[in-house]
Amino acid sequence: MTDIRDGNGLAAAEKLYTQYGSRARELKASGKKVIGYLSALGPVEIMTAAGVLPIRLKGNVSEAISKGDAYMETIVCPFVRNVFDLAVKGKYDFLDGMVLPHQCDSIDRTNETWSYTLGLPYWHFLNVPHVTDDPSIAFMKEILRIFIKTLEKFTGKAITDQAIADAVKAHNNNRKLMRELYDLRKSNPPLISGSEMMKVLVAAMSIPVEESSALIEAVMKEVKERKPAAANPKAKRIMLIGDQIDDVAVIEAIESTGAYLVMDDLSTGSKMYWQDVDATADPVQGIAERYLRKLKIPTTFVGSADTYQGILEERFGHMKKYVNEFKVDGAILFIYKYCDPYGFEVPAIKSYVEAAGAPVLYLEDEYSTSSLARVKTRIEAFLEMIA
Amino acid sequence: MAEEKKGRAVATSTAAKIPKFVRGNLSATLKAKEEGKKVAAAFIADGQDEIMRAMDIVPAWGESFSGVCAAKRDAEKYLQKAESDNFSRSLCTYATCNIGFDMMREELGGATPEGAPWGGMGRPDMMLGNGQLLCDPRFKWPQATQHYQQDVPVFVTNMYYPPWDPNADHHEQEAIYVKYAADELRETVKFCEKITGKKMDWDRLAATVELSDKTWDLFIDTYELRKHIPTPMDTGDAMNTMVPLTFNLGTQEAYDFYVDLNAELRQKIADGVGVANPEKYRIIWAAGLPSWFALGDFQYFNGKGVVFPVEVTYRGCEKIERLDLPKTNDPLEHIAWRWVRYWTHWYDAAKKRPGSTPKVERIIEYIEDYKCDGAVFHSAFSCRSWHAGIMQQAATLKKVYKDIPILIMEGDIVDISSYNEADTHNRIDAFIETLAASKKRQG
Repeated sequence: MTDIRDGNGLAAAEKLYTQYGSRARELKASGKKVIGYLSALGPVEIMTAAGVLPIRLKGNVSEAISKGDAYMETIVCPFVRNVFDLAVKGKYDFLDGMVLPHQCDSIDRTNETWSYTLGLPYWHFLNVPHVTDDPSIAFMKEILRIFIKTLEKFTGKAITDQAIADAVKAHNNNRKLMRELYDLRKSNPPLISGSEMMKVLVAAMSIPVEESSALIEAVMKEVKERKPAAANPKAKRIMLIGDQIDDVAVIEAIESTGAYLVMDDLSTGSKMYWQDVDATADPVQGIAERYLRKLKIPTTFVGSADTYQGILEERFGHMKKYVNEFKVDGAILFIYKYCDPYGFEVPAIKSYVEAAGAPVLYLEDEYSTSSLARVKTRIEAFLEMIA
Repeated sequence: MAEEKKGRAVATSTAAKIPKFVRGNLSATLKAKEEGKKVAAAFIADGQDEIMRAMDIVPAWGESFSGVCAAKRDAEKYLQKAESDNFSRSLCTYATCNIGFDMMREELGGATPEGAPWGGMGRPDMMLGNGQLLCDPRFKWPQATQHYQQDVPVFVTNMYYPPWDPNADHHEQEAIYVKYAADELRETVKFCEKITGKKMDWDRLAATVELSDKTWDLFIDTYELRKHIPTPMDTGDAMNTMVPLTFNLGTQEAYDFYVDLNAELRQKIADGVGVANPEKYRIIWAAGLPSWFALGDFQYFNGKGVVFPVEVTYRGCEKIERLDLPKTNDPLEHIAWRWVRYWTHWYDAAKKRPGSTPKVERIIEYIEDYKCDGAVFHSAFSCRSWHAGIMQQAATLKKVYKDIPILIMEGDIVDISSYNEADTHNRIDAFIETLAASKKRQG
């Protein structure tokens, strides 16, 4: 087990980041069941309550796809393809099963490719709606209950409401701690760099929730003890927007120019940690509402306001808050190729965030470091432009 | 400037009536205002057809208009317009073509851009989307369009069906999905009532749904005539004859079209007239939307004695009796059951064949019923909805059924830049050689 204690939080995060899945492998060896999942829509509370370890799957941007393309089309999201390729190659051979939440076509339309190719003992497609109205909440509760039943059958253990409520508390606490860590990025310069933060975020999604919370606390304590550095008055404060960015490559490309990455709207970052599950009499109700209505992702249609500006506030208002609270000078919108959900939002996000006071650089790219030099050049040009 | 290309000659005279349907649908959107009707930007296979028809809402089919632009090889200007505002070329080109057109129309204050294929499409009063287990653009495209038409309200409904899981009992889940779909359709009606200022005439809706059911049945009865050897109609025509079912469901005109097509196919069979002479190989179009700018490729197949008596694409219906729908007096609940069972009625068959899937079972059923020698899939690079998962279907088909010749063609639905006619024809030639070898092996 990775040693998490005062003074070594960042080292522990580094280890969990570079040896992704190592803790899951240890726990598997000790008899715990491990369930992998994709996207911010994985209901970790229910998996924790089931007594399994949920691990969010990531790819490897430095590794070329070498086997997955024999099974999955190249028109699929490059992130999904990369993770699938790693799974085919055995990187996740410790998994007992997987949950694919219905986030987008690239996941929905490849469900059978995943399940039939990997042949894991447990498989579940969680059919999350794209709409957030009242009938959708009722439906979301139904499909969460179906999910609970399949997990009970797989583990042979009932998942009680009390266990779910306890898991909700544990994950809410985890989110609260992560938000506190984010607060340390508000100073100038931030107390924790963007690449350090990314390593913590990635490490945190690969270990049990209690260990994740201990890790964040250890990192927080360590970072707070740092001597304040002098701020570089010319350094721009940047926010990164996108879905699953789970590697430091792009962040190092930003920070190597002298800029500070101070905030994100990523599905591995603030999207995961900004919204808690409400404690409800039926704990499934709070979970349904959190994942369907509170999570700010483009695959849930939001648009109940009477005016277009009102609709934009519903969809992107949180980004305006980030720009103000984290004193963001510019934003980088980093979208993977073949991503319809994010791709169709680009003009709206760009104009909204720019109206909030932060110029936006839009980059469409692969989930790969092969094009990093070009990306870095564009980032440098952007930072020069907003200097 | 558009690169003009001679259109594909249709094999049936009934199919020659299709341009009139398509033009009629487009011009209806332009005439709606003077007729006091509301226009809704809408999507095919969304379960909302009958609601619109029963409320005199004129559907503006974006997919149809983009398909027309592609067939006329005149989509590039719209794709470039969308790209100029950062819509990537890797996004759905039905959507980006349409959004580019909409952007131009807004810049002209609502006037139709000059040179719009077949007169263009009218500005909608509302946009109806749908979240499905199918297609993200069906809810992101209206949202994206609203950026340019900010006064046009968007309503997105959600209609799912139980996902395929060989270890789950989908029968236990169907009622949950039907309730959800019916509830969502009720929300659609409320929205349409608000925009049109009219109340739904539920008797009219019930009659419209009944007419749709009759059209579904007649469509299948008609298409099953293609089982005949030689087949009297192939997929090249079906990419046209799908229009009334797909874009005019719930109208008498759609039903009457299939009456005519049915009669013509029967006559062709009686006269011994087939699509190819001689008919050497029978192929299933197993999945994928076609390249609308290259429908002539079907004639290339036909010229080599290859016919497509059946296709999965756009066969968006089934014999109602086969779906075993529970009785209900609620037309919306009926639509919901019809929708869910349309997808799940292949599940039991898939369970009986280890390693199979419903999509593959459907292909196997058609291969057997229509006596096919091979399968062609088309993978369009800008559309994940219909085209991601094709490799899995092809591999599973070979694994659980038999080692039949399979061709996966690559291209796009709208963007011609991905298409190379010579390469495509070379691949078709190689596939036909495989078919010949396979048939020889079978004796």
